[in-house]
Amino acid sequence: MRISFETLLPSLKPWVEGLVDVWPAYAIKSQFASWEVLHILSLVLLGGTSIILNLRLIGVGMTAEPPSEIYRNLRRWQDFGVIGIVVTGLLIGMANAERLYGSTAFLVKIIALVAGIVLTYGASRSVARADGLVSRAARLALAVGLTIWVLGLAIFATGVLINPGLLHVVMAAGLIIALLARGRFRWVYFGVTLLLLLVQLGVTHFLVNPFDVAKLDPINKAFGWALAAWTLAVAAFQLRASAKEQWLAKVVGFVSILVWVTAAAAGRWIAFA
Amino acid sequence: MIREFLVWLQRDLGKGAGDSAQSWSEALLGSLNFWSLLEGTHLLSLMLFAGTIFIVDLRLLGITFQRTPVSVVCDRILPLTVAGFLLVVLTGLALFYAKPLFYYHNVWFRVKLIFLAAAILNVFFFHSRVRRNGEAWDIDTKPPRKVRAAAAASLASWLVVIVMGRFLAYDWFECGKPIPYWANVAQDCRASEGGAIDLVAINSLPGHQP
Repeated sequence: MRISFETLLPSLKPWVEGLVDVWPAYAIKSQFASWEVLHILSLVLLGGTSIILNLRLIGVGMTAEPPSEIYRNLRRWQDFGVIGIVVTGLLIGMANAERLYGSTAFLVKIIALVAGIVLTYGASRSVARADGLVSRAARLALAVGLTIWVLGLAIFATGVLINPGLLHVVMAAGLIIALLARGRFRWVYFGVTLLLLLVQLGVTHFLVNPFDVAKLDPINKAFGWALAAWTLAVAAFQLRASAKEQWLAKVVGFVSILVWVTAAAAGRWIAFA
Repeated sequence: MIREFLVWLQRDLGKGAGDSAQSWSEALLGSLNFWSLLEGTHLLSLMLFAGTIFIVDLRLLGITFQRTPVSVVCDRILPLTVAGFLLVVLTGLALFYAKPLFYYHNVWFRVKLIFLAAAILNVFFFHSRVRRNGEAWDIDTKPPRKVRAAAAASLASWLVVIVMGRFLAYDWFECGKPIPYWANVAQDCRASEGGAIDLVAINSLPGHQP
């Protein structure tokens, strides 16, 4: 699919084309790289705080303190991160509006951003504040955020030229699983994942001509789906052991990290497609 | 010496027979998605690596987690930082391998390496010297000045590393373009394929319209 804001809202075209001549866009244009750096630094801050807070909900990392204490210490920094990406994103987005208007990756990024804000402020922070208790409001936010996120993932997966970027999300999920896994389970997980990647490498380099893109494409996609299914299955297997209440809190943690990875990955793939 | 090695790395290593043969480095750069995945992973891993090290630095500065002992913050968060660092370094090495000469003649990359070295030295300095008597200030809301100085140095140097990393994708000072004298020297442009062209000399040519 080549869906984008341009195909969804074609009547906005004149407005989008004019954006670059509006203050502050024309002023930003010459300082684009500097604002881009601030965008990345905001992402780093948002990523670091979200990873630490949500890993705690999953039961990894700062387990020496209750989730509410982690939340108390990180919430302002996470706010900085969210405000930072939105403000710098608006500025560099205005200066680059025409390109983003026709970009599928940008559409995915904005959907993931909305899902990220819903999940972070509606679910993750609420669950952390209540030390793992998932309130009804948090459940609702999880359902809404999850739905929006899955919609974004679906567009990402079907987007022409950008769908390899989805591997970042699968890899991030794999990393969380690896952090959570213990003992023999961890080695089984690493072993099977490595095997999948090696088989893919073998098939796409030795069984099929590595320059035959038409043949490679479906094979790579099949392996992508296999890796995603394997990752999802292992994550579900890991969570199944927890009691119901904990189980939901862990799902909130998992999803609230991956949603920002999705936004960041889609953001990067704007430039690649 | 270094340049010759990088030329070999970029053009010769892994090159097969035939006119259209590519070196491994060229194949990596020309790959349809693999290079992009490496670059994306390099950037995204910063969330794990830099994001967590910033939180540790903020604790050492006495700005966050004031009620949690420094040792707890370090023991629980730094393993995540190390995992992120491994990802950033491995993808970074692979990205360098895809176009070594480009990075070699890039002033931002050179500055990045200097600050990377400074940041790593600071890590060793912190763990060998500063943390040695860590029990004395483990539960301090605001650790001693020396600790805070090391944390500030860490924050500052990683910030510079990230900023340089983003800037090196821009071609403001590319060798072969008319650029200031200092940039030609700093990037060793004379040895590069594009050569060294001095901005002032070009502008002072008769009939030149700057």
